[in-house]
Amino acid sequence: MELTGNVLEIRNLVKEFPSVRAVNDVSFDIKRNTVHCLVGENGAGKSTLIKILTGAYQRTSGRILLNGEEYVASSTKEAKDRGISTLFQELNVVDQLTVEENLTLGMEDTRFGFLLKTDKVNKIISVMNSLEPSIRPNQLVSDLSVAKKQIVEIAKAVATEADIIIMDEPTAALSEGEIARLFTIIKGLRERNVTVIYISHRLDEIFELGDYVTVMRDGGHVATMPVAEIKDRSDLIKMMIGKTVFEQYSPREQDCEDVILQVRHVSNHKLQDISFDLPRGEIAGFYGLVGAGKTELARAIYGADSYTGDIIFKGKKLASSPDRVIEAGIALVPEERRSQGLFTLLTIRGNIPVMNMKKIARGGLVDGAKERAVTLEYIDKLKIATSSIEKEAAQLSGGNQQKVVLSKCLFADADLLMLDEPTRGIDVGAKSEIYSIIRQLAAAGKSILIFSSELPEVVNICDSIYLLYDGAMVERIRNGCDIDSEMMMHAVSGVSVDQATANGKVAAVTGGE
Amino acid sequence: MESTKPAQKALKGGRMSNETLISLFMIGVLVVVFLIACLFVPNFYKPQNIVNILTNNWYIVILGIGVSFLLVTGNFDMSVGGVIALTGVLSVYFCQATNASRNVLGNGLGLPYGVAIALALLGAVTVGGLNAFFIAKLKVPSIIVTLGTMMLARGVGQVITQGAQRNTSLPKVFGIIGNAAIPGTSLKISVLIMIVLLIFAFFIERKTVFGRRTYQIGANQEAARLSGIKVARHLTMLYIFSALLAGITGILLASEYKAGLSGRAMGYEFDALVVALLGGVSIAGGFGSVLGMFVGAILLSVMTTAATGLLLSPDWQFTLKAVVTFVAILAQRWALDRRSRG
Repeated sequence: MELTGNVLEIRNLVKEFPSVRAVNDVSFDIKRNTVHCLVGENGAGKSTLIKILTGAYQRTSGRILLNGEEYVASSTKEAKDRGISTLFQELNVVDQLTVEENLTLGMEDTRFGFLLKTDKVNKIISVMNSLEPSIRPNQLVSDLSVAKKQIVEIAKAVATEADIIIMDEPTAALSEGEIARLFTIIKGLRERNVTVIYISHRLDEIFELGDYVTVMRDGGHVATMPVAEIKDRSDLIKMMIGKTVFEQYSPREQDCEDVILQVRHVSNHKLQDISFDLPRGEIAGFYGLVGAGKTELARAIYGADSYTGDIIFKGKKLASSPDRVIEAGIALVPEERRSQGLFTLLTIRGNIPVMNMKKIARGGLVDGAKERAVTLEYIDKLKIATSSIEKEAAQLSGGNQQKVVLSKCLFADADLLMLDEPTRGIDVGAKSEIYSIIRQLAAAGKSILIFSSELPEVVNICDSIYLLYDGAMVERIRNGCDIDSEMMMHAVSGVSVDQATANGKVAAVTGGE
Repeated sequence: MESTKPAQKALKGGRMSNETLISLFMIGVLVVVFLIACLFVPNFYKPQNIVNILTNNWYIVILGIGVSFLLVTGNFDMSVGGVIALTGVLSVYFCQATNASRNVLGNGLGLPYGVAIALALLGAVTVGGLNAFFIAKLKVPSIIVTLGTMMLARGVGQVITQGAQRNTSLPKVFGIIGNAAIPGTSLKISVLIMIVLLIFAFFIERKTVFGRRTYQIGANQEAARLSGIKVARHLTMLYIFSALLAGITGILLASEYKAGLSGRAMGYEFDALVVALLGGVSIAGGFGSVLGMFVGAILLSVMTTAATGLLLSPDWQFTLKAVVTFVAILAQRWALDRRSRG
């Protein structure tokens, strides 16, 4: 096998979903024995591309050549057999087994039902030993740190002679020391004849680790180039966000004296000393990358996760349980609509009134007529496309499901509405409908907190924007026409704000206070 | 965008819920099975036989109410058989006369029957509370907890009866409630209690906020919590309710047989589970109805009565139940799948 040239060639790859072209005519090459980074904002098409490579999705059209041969995988297992292994964010290790059992899982050789220790097993163990001698084969995997579990996975891929290992945000849950160790291993993989496709939001990592980088935006391929040729970090950011045309949004003025929510020194397993004030009637956005702590902050305010510090709403300290926070006048549209927001088994009628049953019941008895009327009212108001109020929520499309969850929270008649990734995975039409609902609410005097990893989203609808990185608040920005999106990308990628402003043009941000 | 005007009309018309569909489907199955049985089993159609079929499973139906509600929330209650044994034994022990006999099992606490019943029900509530504490508070899987409390309840009963039974030195009033007929009929009071409880449960399920929340918890416990439902409190109420129903059943059965024995109601928890599943209650939660459970209980009763009428050996009863359960559940799956495709 030749050791130079391209290990993977992607040609005119297209993946269409019912409402969107997630991967749009993408072509690029990946050179053998390199670390090839893949960057782009959320929704740029990286994950879809990776899922096609690992066999989780099937392409709509286009070709992929692996070692010069046509490559199609219909399952992760098939991808693995062809030589493409993946290190998922959720690791594929079985906690209750030992390291050795995990390494050989699915490829045990047996005789009369008994396991045999073969050369294959010994090879995997020796690879793992060379990568990380401190891991003992007879140790339980549950006793290992996330970093060491990753090494176990890498060892398995190397020993089975994978050509390519895909790593999706591998450092998200690692400490600095562990990251350094992982990087040493990744750099060593070149000698073992392995190509790494590395996905990360942290730009520093790309400069430290990458040989090549491919930038994707809105499903399309923007550029593939050697990392050494990129002079400035901001060039990379420019390619990632492109000439995003932000809808002109002029932030409205609020009475900063009239504060509805005060968050004071809130910390927990993820959050680090977060404090801010929310004026009544403001739309505030929390922008940060995956793992920045947005969801954790929303859940802390909502009382769903524990925290230290104080959260004061309308002058009273909030209790730490969702039912009492809702009673105080706060509602949350959660991040995962199917697992946290929606009762998919139940009908639309069984979903929409749930957060404010008092309004449709008297003395614990449901008024069926009111229940139907309320459901119809929201189906109408939010234009939920359904043939019946008795349709199961599971049968609705993603956008309509999100509208049902939103209806639920609107019916709660809260003074503060929190929305965590309110438009993730829904089509453009539903997206803009949801934005207009949010604006109407704010115009009616409700206060809104939006937690999002999509920059255009926060820039389009928020009066002020908070930047989060690694559980801490980096910056508060007053939204406006002179907003500096590059600076924001820098800040949430872990570059200090000073450095970011020095890097790009001088940011016209005032802090807004 | 299509016009919403005609859509609105259709929306108001609504459509049958899946629970109603399954209940009707099972009623259809029941009618067919009944007609077939009438063809082959002599005297099967006689009113007295029909009354028997509807009423002789009263204890399973009462248990089935609590078990169904819990199944809808996605939880099991396997302790109900044990609770029957415990409350039966307690109701006897508390009102047996003191110093009435040289046999230890002939002496009790000599309390009035009313007090004995109240204390026995308190015993049932304690078991329900234990279930709730471990399941709702400590989040231990319900199947483990309730299998444990089933043995605990039966075990305490066994200690009190020393592995035998208590049936002497009882006041006259003890045997009345379980044996007396409703005036003017041949039906026992127990059957009347079953009917009242069924109507009550049907009302709770369909008409109350509590009923709605039961389904929401079963459909998605995390979404329920984030929607402000007090999940732990709800489950606690349901476990205590289920234990109370089992307690009532235990007192009625002890009165009927004028005896308290720790081996009473062996396997009833499984029968209650089976009738709920036959009636279309989903083992995964979020789906099912008390009406369906009742139809399931009747169906099981028709099958066993028909089998007895055909002189099928009682040894075959368990196998028959198994076959009926499998066939019914497969049929329901088929009906629901057809619907979601249609």
